[in-house]
Amino acid sequence: MFLPGAILSIIMVYNVDDRGVIMPKPSDLLQGTLDLLILKTIATDPLHGWAIAKRIQVLSGDVLSVGQGSLYPALHRLEQQGWLRAEWKDSDLGRPAKVYSLTREGRKQLERELNSWNRLSSAVQLLVEMA
Amino acid sequence: MRFSRVLIHRLQSLFRRSRADADLQREIEVHFEQLVKEAMASGAGESEARMMARRQFGPMEKTKEECRDSRRVNHIDDFMRDVRYALRTIRTKPGFSVPALLSLTLGIGANIAIFGVVNAVLIRPLPYPQPEKLVGVFNSAAYSSLVIKEWPLSLEMYAAYKENARSFEEFGVWTPGTAAVTGRGEPEEVATVAMTHGVLRALGVRAYLGRWFSSADELRGAQKTVILSYNYWQRRFGGDEHVLGRLVLIDFVAYQIVGVMPRKFEFLNLAPDVFLAQSVVAGAPGSQDADCSGVARLKPGIGLAQANRDIVRVLRIWGAKTGLEQYLEQLHVKPNIHSLKEDVIGDVGAVLKILMGALALVLLLVCANVANLVQARAQARRGEFATRAALGAGWGRIAGQVLIESLALATLGGAAGLSLAYAGLRLLATHGPATLPRVADTSIDALSILFALACSLLSGILFGLVAVLKSGLNIRPQMARGASQSADQVRAQNAFVIAQVAVALVLLVGAGLLVRSFIALSAVRPGFTHPEQIQTIRLFIPEAQIRDPERVAQVEAEILHKFAAIPGVAAAGFATALPLELEYHNGNPISVEGKTPLGQIPPNRTIKSISPGLFAALGTRLIAGRDFTSNDLMSNRHVAIVSENMAREYWSKPRDALAKRIRINGESQWSVVVGVAENVYEDGVDQPPPGLVYFPGVRRGVAFAIRSNRAGTQGLLKEITAEIHAVDPSLPLAQVRTLNDLYRLTMARRSFALVLLGIAAAMAMTLSMIGVYGVLAYAVAQRRKEISIRVAMGAEPRTIRALFLRQGLILTCFGGAIGLASARGLSPWMASLLFGVKPFDPLIYGVAGAVILVAALTASSIPARRAAFLNPIEALRGE
Repeated sequence: MFLPGAILSIIMVYNVDDRGVIMPKPSDLLQGTLDLLILKTIATDPLHGWAIAKRIQVLSGDVLSVGQGSLYPALHRLEQQGWLRAEWKDSDLGRPAKVYSLTREGRKQLERELNSWNRLSSAVQLLVEMA
Repeated sequence: MRFSRVLIHRLQSLFRRSRADADLQREIEVHFEQLVKEAMASGAGESEARMMARRQFGPMEKTKEECRDSRRVNHIDDFMRDVRYALRTIRTKPGFSVPALLSLTLGIGANIAIFGVVNAVLIRPLPYPQPEKLVGVFNSAAYSSLVIKEWPLSLEMYAAYKENARSFEEFGVWTPGTAAVTGRGEPEEVATVAMTHGVLRALGVRAYLGRWFSSADELRGAQKTVILSYNYWQRRFGGDEHVLGRLVLIDFVAYQIVGVMPRKFEFLNLAPDVFLAQSVVAGAPGSQDADCSGVARLKPGIGLAQANRDIVRVLRIWGAKTGLEQYLEQLHVKPNIHSLKEDVIGDVGAVLKILMGALALVLLLVCANVANLVQARAQARRGEFATRAALGAGWGRIAGQVLIESLALATLGGAAGLSLAYAGLRLLATHGPATLPRVADTSIDALSILFALACSLLSGILFGLVAVLKSGLNIRPQMARGASQSADQVRAQNAFVIAQVAVALVLLVGAGLLVRSFIALSAVRPGFTHPEQIQTIRLFIPEAQIRDPERVAQVEAEILHKFAAIPGVAAAGFATALPLELEYHNGNPISVEGKTPLGQIPPNRTIKSISPGLFAALGTRLIAGRDFTSNDLMSNRHVAIVSENMAREYWSKPRDALAKRIRINGESQWSVVVGVAENVYEDGVDQPPPGLVYFPGVRRGVAFAIRSNRAGTQGLLKEITAEIHAVDPSLPLAQVRTLNDLYRLTMARRSFALVLLGIAAAMAMTLSMIGVYGVLAYAVAQRRKEISIRVAMGAEPRTIRALFLRQGLILTCFGGAIGLASARGLSPWMASLLFGVKPFDPLIYGVAGAVILVAALTASSIPARRAAFLNPIEALRGE
């Protein structure tokens, strides 16, 4: 009934590889890519959901915007996988917020996602230049 | 590691469901408030800002649902909901659940019960330490066409094996018997096992009190010793702890009690009261008689083949020492060392396997029937399914529900089956055939429960899957409307029915062949008549009681005389062994004057010493010559009576045997044949009658046969006991039974198989009848409109009935043909159970086919009738 996390993550990585092209439109943001963005965003310091969404938007120069409808399910899923740890903490929002940080497993996962992203983007790059 | 953490997370989210939900709510609120703040910062009023935020956030509930989904607790939740729903369905739809549960209970219950027996008899290891090292030690011998697989050892051979064999860690021999215990209250007959000291050592079960036998107990002139079984110790000595060292009189000889075995100790498949130390004295009388069973524990690393090779060498040494090499050569004596379990189980393994197979087939039929029911229910719910699919339920979700419903049914059926099996096994242990070894310790153990669980789950998955696949749950919304049965499903149902008819036919043929065997067995004239009128009783007069053999003969003749005078007794006689009393049989090679070549060992014959009147008491006919007279008996005249088959073997005509001379090989005195008696099926009605030689004579142990129509009554027994005690009040009576008890005992294995196979066949028949009925009833319901139109157009009821009867007939014929072919393929498996009938008995095949045909026609005639007398107006209006 449950798919173990490892299998799920494989499926996701392949999803990215299979579809190939990644559109920068938020609605088409691929699941695997979203995972990478979230993991990367909180790699340096723990953040709550609001801040994660904001930071992705700001750092991508407003190109990428993550809707709440996909952000929270993704956060919960990553937590479920054991890659994120969540804590209720006082925040800059003036009330306690659920703050996410990376676990050790999460760091490894980030490493893996980055690798596969690099492979993919250089392949796309190559293809674009050759064609 | 990580997987376990994931699991913990999920369990947490499951059990702290409400907390997790509140958490989620708060988290989303934080985000939402932030959106509102942002909107207000850009100048909107509060209510406007809230509206903008809501629009920007999107569907909040959907997001929450997705968050929950990603925690994957919904599966468990769905599962619980499905289970609750399934249980409710079972409770509220008895028309569907009662037949399903009933057939599952019967099918699974029967399988668990027979598995309980198989487990106890075949699977469970013998109750000794390292049982795989234990072997039974016998020889095999062959003389012309006669092959003896388990030829026992003699005490002389035992001594030789003990001295020379290298592959045994422990080795001993034992003989079962009976003995009289006197001196404490009423004289009592007990079951004994006489054994050498190696037997208990080999089995390796420590005594509860005291010690095992030792080699010192076996020496000439040593104090006789006895070990008590736990039950006998409790019964006779009240569990007295100080029983060791006391003396008991066994056959009027004092035995010292040296031990008590533990309660759980089983001696192979016997239940002896006492164990006696066998004295092993070289050259003692009887030490050449081959009547000991051997048991040994193999040395580590020694296999059966090695042990057998080792004994070939030992036999050669023994032959050279005793000068019997030629004898061993002629009889092709070879060692036969086999796993001890074979000795304990005997030949019931084959029977149990057949029954297990038959009941597994029945369970398959049950599954087919329940699959039909579940499918029909799924069919009825197609509208509901399609609606749900249209609302977004996945195919897997709906199929899962049907499967869970099936599993719930199967689990309930399995639980009920388990209790049924428990009751059945209790019944079997108390009323089952006594010849079934180890059946007393049949019980529902962990393995049986595991089996029950596997049975339930597998059948649930089986019929659930069939229902899911065959009811075409590949839901498309348009199915919500014209929900009708597709040709595919009709085909599936037909296939079920064909399979059911086939299996039922196979089981019917099996049961039929057994019935035929029974008829053939009861048609055999066993060499005795009306065994229910023959009262048997065994007497043993030990040497310690009456020393003089002449006196023993007088006492026994006197008792016989008194028996014959009891009112209502038609005839009485005694013999060293009565027919079917296998444990008392005795055999010797018999030479025939002028026929047996010098220096050659003649064939072995069953030898009996009998009194005059025995033939009359048993109802054995004399074919030629005369019976013995009391003069023959008292004056020790050298006369003999032979069986018809032996007479024909040498002289072709029985009459020609008269006045010829025979003798036991190796003796000098010839005996004159004065009579020829009809063959007696000594070894059981299903075994060929052995060659028999009767001599007039009296032994210390004899069995009386008393023919009276009061046989088996307490009244007669009292009179018999009174007569015996009038002669000597200390003589115990043993084996008080009628010959019919013995006769039935030899049939027990077959009747056990017949009863169970009969039950299986009846269940299969019923199930296939229900199947045929179901298919036709469904077809009639589906075709109401068509039938009405036909009737309206003037079709005769007869034609319509024939239409459906034909459909039933076609299905049955298909199933029947497959069934007959499978029965032909499978029936050779039961050859060992058959008697007087070939596995391919055309009569039985014909009868079984006819029975199935009639049953199927009966089942189809009800819906066919309904179709024929359908009121067309009503039917058309009803559409």
